[in-house]
Amino acid sequence: MTDGHSFNNISLGGRGGTNQGQIRVHSEGILWKKIGGGKAVEVDKSDVLSLTWMKVPRTNQLGFRIKDGLYYKFTGFRDQDVTSLTNFFQNSWGITPEEKQLSVSGKNWGEVDLNGNMLTFLVGSKQAFEVSLADVSQTQLQGKNDVMLEFHVDDTTGANEKDSLMEISFHIPNSNTQFVGDESHP
Amino acid sequence: GDGRTSAKHSNELIAYKSVNELPPPREMMIQVDQKNEAILLPIYGSMVPFHVATVKTVSSQQDTNRNCYIRIIFNVPGTPFTPHDANSMKNQGAIYLKEVSFRSKDPRHISEVVQLIKTLRRNVVARESERAERAT
Repeated sequence: MTDGHSFNNISLGGRGGTNQGQIRVHSEGILWKKIGGGKAVEVDKSDVLSLTWMKVPRTNQLGFRIKDGLYYKFTGFRDQDVTSLTNFFQNSWGITPEEKQLSVSGKNWGEVDLNGNMLTFLVGSKQAFEVSLADVSQTQLQGKNDVMLEFHVDDTTGANEKDSLMEISFHIPNSNTQFVGDESHP
Repeated sequence: GDGRTSAKHSNELIAYKSVNELPPPREMMIQVDQKNEAILLPIYGSMVPFHVATVKTVSSQQDTNRNCYIRIIFNVPGTPFTPHDANSMKNQGAIYLKEVSFRSKDPRHISEVVQLIKTLRRNVVARESERAERAT
């Protein structure tokens, strides 16, 4: 027996939707392979900055934040997998995953958090959605209060979603103090 | 369903109370959940819900390459006739999602979504303004 755990039906989420695959979590890192070959993601545990668990509809999502600013999200873990993997990460990797919560209230107002390449929109300190700034082709200031992000058109990398996000814009009222004169805001 | 409405206070429309109320994940495409008065948008491999009352307008257009685009504009404070202005007082300092736009491979699906959102939004806005009127 080799060490580690394998899980089938784990999807990798990202810009182009999701891809189904298999993940193996072992003492040195993880390896995810797309079903039928093609894409693979390999992460060494020494490159992992943090791990997160989030409950999503019907299943659980495991997030890997990597040293180069990348962020991988794997979805499809059962509740019992969360328990066993959390133990494994603590004992074998010395990393305790954080728990994040998903916002499902449907509100369109909250906070924007920038961390590495990821922009997170939080509603009541729960995560509504995340986008990667690495996929942003252009940002525009519209008027005094609106910031628009345009995303690369992704025609190649196995996009399997029917509807693809092209643009997103945020309205930052004058009453917001987080980003006043902050040049690092996208 | 009138059982749900008791949990909803005016200006405090909630799409879902817990993660498990969301519809099971299907294809990555825009969905309309009539029962919960929500639209679900595929953003980075996740279906992200928004209550239809946060929507201001929705429109679609098609280009010459048979690509179809849908644009959803949300209510933000400072625009006239925003029904959620009570919130802009409550949410001082909040950042608003103002607009999203998607490209779709399926024009028929998009025109259906636009119609569904428009109808649902109209019904919810009518119901809420009626309720507000009765309350005064």
